[in-house]
Amino acid sequence: MDLAIELDSLRKVFRVSERTQGLAGALRGLFAPRMRDVVAVDGVSFAIAPGERVAFVGPNGAGKSTTLKVLSGILRPTSGRVRVAGLEPGRDRGALGYRIGAVFGQRSQLWLHLPALDTFDLLARVYELEPAEYRARRDELVRAFDIAEVAQKPVRQLSLGERMRCELAASLLHRPEILFLDEPTIGLDVVAKATIRDLVRERCLRDGCTVLLTSHDTGDMERVCERVLVIHRGRLLLDRPVDALRKSFIPRKRISVVSEEAELSFDLPGVVQLPSAPHRTELEVDLRAIGVDRVVSRIVASARVLDLSVEDPPMEEIVTAIYAGAAPAEATG
Amino acid sequence: MTAQRLGRVTAKYLAFARAAGRRARAQRWSLLGRTVFIGIVLFVFSRIWAAIGPRDGLPGIGPRDLIWYLALTEWPVLSVPQAFLAIEADVRSGDVAVRLVRPVAYVGAHLAEAAGETATRLVFVGSSAFTFAYFIAGGLPADPRGLLLALPLVLLACVLLLLSVTAIGVTSFWVVDSMPFFWIWQKLMFVLGGLLFPLELYPEWLQRVARATPFPYMCWGPGSMAFGFAPGRALVNAAGGLAWAAALAAGLVALSRGARARLSVNGG
Amino acid sequence: MQRLIANLRFARALVVTNLRASLALRASFWLQAAFMAGNNFAFFTMWWILFARFKTLGSWRVDDMLTLFGVVAPGFGLAVALAGGARTLARGIVDGELDPLLVQPKSPLLHWAGSASAASGWGDLASGIGMLWLAGRLDWANAPFIALAIAASAVAFAASSLAFQSLAFWLGDVEQLALQLRDFTLNFALYPQPLFGGAIQLLLYTLLPAAAVGFLPVAVVRAPSVWTCAGALAGAVAWGAVAVGIFALGLRRYESGSRFGARG
Repeated sequence: MDLAIELDSLRKVFRVSERTQGLAGALRGLFAPRMRDVVAVDGVSFAIAPGERVAFVGPNGAGKSTTLKVLSGILRPTSGRVRVAGLEPGRDRGALGYRIGAVFGQRSQLWLHLPALDTFDLLARVYELEPAEYRARRDELVRAFDIAEVAQKPVRQLSLGERMRCELAASLLHRPEILFLDEPTIGLDVVAKATIRDLVRERCLRDGCTVLLTSHDTGDMERVCERVLVIHRGRLLLDRPVDALRKSFIPRKRISVVSEEAELSFDLPGVVQLPSAPHRTELEVDLRAIGVDRVVSRIVASARVLDLSVEDPPMEEIVTAIYAGAAPAEATG
Repeated sequence: MTAQRLGRVTAKYLAFARAAGRRARAQRWSLLGRTVFIGIVLFVFSRIWAAIGPRDGLPGIGPRDLIWYLALTEWPVLSVPQAFLAIEADVRSGDVAVRLVRPVAYVGAHLAEAAGETATRLVFVGSSAFTFAYFIAGGLPADPRGLLLALPLVLLACVLLLLSVTAIGVTSFWVVDSMPFFWIWQKLMFVLGGLLFPLELYPEWLQRVARATPFPYMCWGPGSMAFGFAPGRALVNAAGGLAWAAALAAGLVALSRGARARLSVNGG
Repeated sequence: MQRLIANLRFARALVVTNLRASLALRASFWLQAAFMAGNNFAFFTMWWILFARFKTLGSWRVDDMLTLFGVVAPGFGLAVALAGGARTLARGIVDGELDPLLVQPKSPLLHWAGSASAASGWGDLASGIGMLWLAGRLDWANAPFIALAIAASAVAFAASSLAFQSLAFWLGDVEQLALQLRDFTLNFALYPQPLFGGAIQLLLYTLLPAAAVGFLPVAVVRAPSVWTCAGALAGAVAWGAVAVGIFALGLRRYESGSRFGARG
């Protein structure tokens, strides 16, 4: 089966003119500027199969936006092999345009003073969609995204969440094989974020399109994607399924217990008791030392439990640990 | 107002003006554009006057004087920035509500900024104007002392222009987009102010209309100093200009207060 | 061929969308259009005064001046009304706002240019037509020549604006410079061409498109012939090619990432 995205040793080097000082510097900068090389992406390789939903995570300046721009054809690679939908983005950008869609979180493709529907009609011409097919697809998306009323109001009157739903619908009108999402939930409130994430996941599952999402928000990663690529300083640090990431990196779980007893105490190896409130006990379990099931059975056996929950540590912690270069640990349990 | 308070207020406005002067220097292209433009316009009009030839009707005014006239009228006009844009931007961004608590101070601050920019441009545009005029006209005007008299009138013209563009900016509290008002005002100033050629060329009735407006003091006032050394006329122009400046200033204050009222009616 | 049809359909949809957006702000639309028309007539009064006093300027009379305005103003107006995006191209390049368009399978230059409209342009068009009428040039026999002249002028204006703004690929934010050049062009185009001698004419023909937006199209209306039509078309096509060429070169540079301080 053909891969949706194929990246082999991608290198992207920018030549940047050095900052000048004073008038002499400015003059020299005009005639003989001093350039230096900035390596934004340093030998990144990965492959994405059709239908996969992949998150591309990394701090600012890590090289995610650069990689995304290379994949979408906005930038040409310095070296390396790039194939998107079987095409070479730098060379076949025109043809590629019909098969990919993009949502840039901070740049809108919707016309501000017009209803989103008008932008949709224009996009139908951009992508040369058959009128009947376009209308059917448009109505389907409007229904699925619940924007029937919203899409008729001028875009500038919409809330950010409503606007994002329209942006997303706009990017899917032409049934792209691959969808690039660049910070799609930035600036949204919690509810809007959840809505967008669910829409992306469901819609792409249904359409079978591949998703490559960059984000600072690890919630995007968890709710939408199955696989994570972690990039840092231009290098790929990690390429794992989302679940495995958690297990590999922070082999800890957090257990919250609400009990009839006001205070509980446990003495188990690998179990740390965190500061708690009356009737509520928080425990941190080191999975390398002991399995969660044993801890839970001990709790249940020694207390009158009203409520118990087992949680993974927040993804933020995991990602921070990855950047810090923490080595993956063995996990039991 | 105590001397100390006056000192502080002055210092504040001076700071604004200095900062604006720096900003004007930073807008290099715009400055360059204006200095080149004045050369272009002087050149074109030298060709126009040459094409019209010696037939005239303007006693004692030759093509050379007309070039210097143009240099003197364009000098203040090209030096005053489009100050209304800054106020318009404030209105659009919406955070003007906070600043308008003291409307006269707010407008005054904008005026001071614009004045600062004007000061910088006066230097660049003026040097350019004088240089071009000298070479294109082939020398100084018949009586160069008139140029000295022109200097205070140019400053007075700048004051009138600044008051006007600031007032136009304040109208954006009502219409948001004040650019169309600027166009009309600017064209009235061009025509009734005698920007390109002196009012003496106009039909009688139009000259009467023009002299009833403040516009001649923005252009023709300083420009007419190119025609000879006429301290009497200069004084008359100065007096008229100052009177109009006072009237415009009063109008601006009223307009600013009105803007405050408008804002409190309509919300931020 | 199919590609051409698809592009034409896209262009038409773009124009329609652009106009709809422009009309969405109704009050502003009328204010801009009306005041610009007034602005142009008011500006012309200076020439009217001059001609009332001196009757002729070289070989030109007031009718010739009206004709000049009547072609250049509508040309400029159509350019800013239909290709108003030219005004912000430099900014779009520098800020990366061009990127979403680069991902789409249509010309980003055309798309960006057609994504904004200045309603004042319609005022320019209306005032120009009015001036042609005052000059006695408005009749059915002249109509196709007038249309050709205005179209050529508009294309030359839009193309030269886009070309100047595209310098941003090399020079960064050239918005001010590009607008200055555009204003210079407009200014020069509105002066009777016989005023200028050799060297200036060369400048006007090459560096500044004043000839392509003014002199050549006006000649079509003043003296309609195969030659004048060809001249106007040549000017428009030449500047169109320049704009497309400079943008394409700049885009290649952009894609290689060597922009002003470009970073991942």
